[in-house]
Amino acid sequence: METKLPSTWEKALDSIRTWARVNSPWVIHFNSGSCNGCDIEILATLTPRYDLERFGVKLQGSPRHADVLICTGPVTRNARDRLVRIYNQMPDPKFVVVVGSCGLSGGVFHGSYNVMGGVDEVIPVDAYVPGCPPRPEAIIHGVVALLDSLKKKP
Amino acid sequence: MTNQSQPQKFIVPIGPQHPALKEPGHFEFGVDGEIVTSATIRLGFVHRGIEKATEDRTWVQNLYLLERICGICSNIHGTVYAIGVEKLAGVEIPPRAKYIRTIVAELERVHSHLLWLGVAAHEGGFDTLFMYSWRDRETVMDLLEGLSGNRVNYSTNLIGGVKFDINEKQADEIRRGLDFLEERTHYYMKVVTTDETFLGRTRDIGTMTREQAELLGAVGPTARASGVPRDVRSESPYLAYNEHPIQLQVHDGGDLLARFIVRLNELFDTYRLIRELLDHMPAGDLTVRVPRRIPEGEVLIRGEAPRGELVYYLKSSGSDKPDRIKVRTPSLCNWGTISHVAVGHKLADMPMLLVGIDPCFSCNDRLVTVNNTQNSQDLTWDALRRYGIEYYK
Amino acid sequence: MDTTTALETAQSLLQPWAQTVTQPEPHRSDFVVAPADLLAAVQALMDARWGYLGAITGVDLPAPAPAEGQPPAESHLAALYQFFNGAAVATLRVTVTHAQPVLPSICDIIPSATIYERELIEMFGFDIENTPVTDHLLLPDDWPQNVYPLRKSFTGFGGAESA
Ligand code: SF4
Repeated sequence: METKLPSTWEKALDSIRTWARVNSPWVIHFNSGSCNGCDIEILATLTPRYDLERFGVKLQGSPRHADVLICTGPVTRNARDRLVRIYNQMPDPKFVVVVGSCGLSGGVFHGSYNVMGGVDEVIPVDAYVPGCPPRPEAIIHGVVALLDSLKKKP
Repeated sequence: MTNQSQPQKFIVPIGPQHPALKEPGHFEFGVDGEIVTSATIRLGFVHRGIEKATEDRTWVQNLYLLERICGICSNIHGTVYAIGVEKLAGVEIPPRAKYIRTIVAELERVHSHLLWLGVAAHEGGFDTLFMYSWRDRETVMDLLEGLSGNRVNYSTNLIGGVKFDINEKQADEIRRGLDFLEERTHYYMKVVTTDETFLGRTRDIGTMTREQAELLGAVGPTARASGVPRDVRSESPYLAYNEHPIQLQVHDGGDLLARFIVRLNELFDTYRLIRELLDHMPAGDLTVRVPRRIPEGEVLIRGEAPRGELVYYLKSSGSDKPDRIKVRTPSLCNWGTISHVAVGHKLADMPMLLVGIDPCFSCNDRLVTVNNTQNSQDLTWDALRRYGIEYYK
Repeated sequence: MDTTTALETAQSLLQPWAQTVTQPEPHRSDFVVAPADLLAAVQALMDARWGYLGAITGVDLPAPAPAEGQPPAESHLAALYQFFNGAAVATLRVTVTHAQPVLPSICDIIPSATIYERELIEMFGFDIENTPVTDHLLLPDDWPQNVYPLRKSFTGFGGAESA
């Protein structure tokens, strides 16, 4: 079906898509080998004190519905394939936020035989949130900063 | 769901969720219709090779590495390791440091049990309880942050002491926080033991007899909920547990409900213990000097993590690096019990059952179902959870 | 049962099989047991309901580099079966050679030992006879054969470059 829309329409549609995406990004969380410290902080961002959902962010389970992948932990050999698979299953456009020092560089586990290194060794990453673990505020800031950067995109 | 009439095999990668060294597990459930007929385990999704990595780092660096085995019970890892190294080096830490270590260990237990309560409730579809308990948990997170400056990996320990002191003002804050939490815990106890829908999901589910628990080597609250009086803090007291013994909480129920009750009762005892410790803190130094090279020898240290017995085996060859460190985390033992307890239960009970042993996975990983004909089908952990909730509606 | 009596009981239980007995810490006794006697020793402890199996720890004991002109000495692997009873700890210490790292499985007596045995197999390269499951427990499925990360000779390939 090759019906070409007039470019003004395209533009309008695009801006609606961006608007929808920015206002209600669906997030999937994947732990590729973290110590759980980062994961409980991500969970904490959903709970009443921090309440990430007020930014329209919804955490859910299937990669096929997700816009944003939040990764924690260094990538272990066992988890690598699964991480790539999840990334590939996500529809375009997709964004990756890495939470925690481990995901950034391997952190304390750097150089261990079962650790591949940071998440960006395996899949492309859009935003990094450093800390061990980052505070919930920092995680929220990371996600919001990513959304802001989307808004600016033409 | 896949075709219900054939026996199927469910592969359950509940990993990479638990932290502690290697727990994130992956179960394969054999299912006959609705009933689970077998379960085997595969770990290693977050296997980071920590035991090997320790051989490449100094005794001091290892403290920070081992603390990051598990983000939920980070402190107890550091504490047990530090006790071990101090024992090898033949030094005794000042009494005040012991008390501070104990207080932080108990605060960690509070945070961990509340976290567990929330996650377990969530798996059963009781999200209000999840939100409540996590909101209240922020109180203890604030206390820990006030003491150590970090919410999760507090780094309380040094080899030879602790890093921070607890002053009167902080002690008062802790007391106030505990008062609030105690009141809330009474409320949770009431909900857990009287709410009919909740009881429907927990009573007589996943029952493990005392015999089984002992044979399978269950530890921690999982064992105590089956009536096994097993708690390192009372069996082999360390730190300040000698002067201020705990009251062992056991329950004979053996089912999920008992696991809730034991943990909540433990919370009450922990509140009492922390208050007692705060009131009796001896004055004095916080650290002693420990040599960089640790004399040759072997020790075996045990400590009670929130999830049960934690075992460290340390071997030194007299250098500034360890020769071998072995960590046996509590969840490893408890994982083992699942494969026996799961059999004969409904698939719909699995989320609650698994979470009952507190393997500390949060709920967002995926399940894969594979039936006998090798057609694999994805079933997310979320979907199984929802399936369980629907089933009981 | 207090710690001293517990250890004394263990000593009398293990009497027939223990080659040497040491007490490195007040609450811990070490019993050196031959691989052939391992099952009997474990059975004796379990029959008497002496505590429970806390862990099985593997240790690699590579031979020191041989002196000039000497034949190389043999490298060993040790498995420590640690049993806890209250505060008391009894360790059964079994040593085998790298060339023939064969041990019997204790899973018939203690079913939960399977996890530890799988760990010994993949991390140290023990050969455990009759153990129910020999799949990898921790390492990825594509891990190379005969590479045992916790042996001293293994000096890790970390990072992505070796993938
Ligand atoms: S960054 Fe820190 S808290 Fe996060 S997974 Fe790594 S070690 Fe754990």
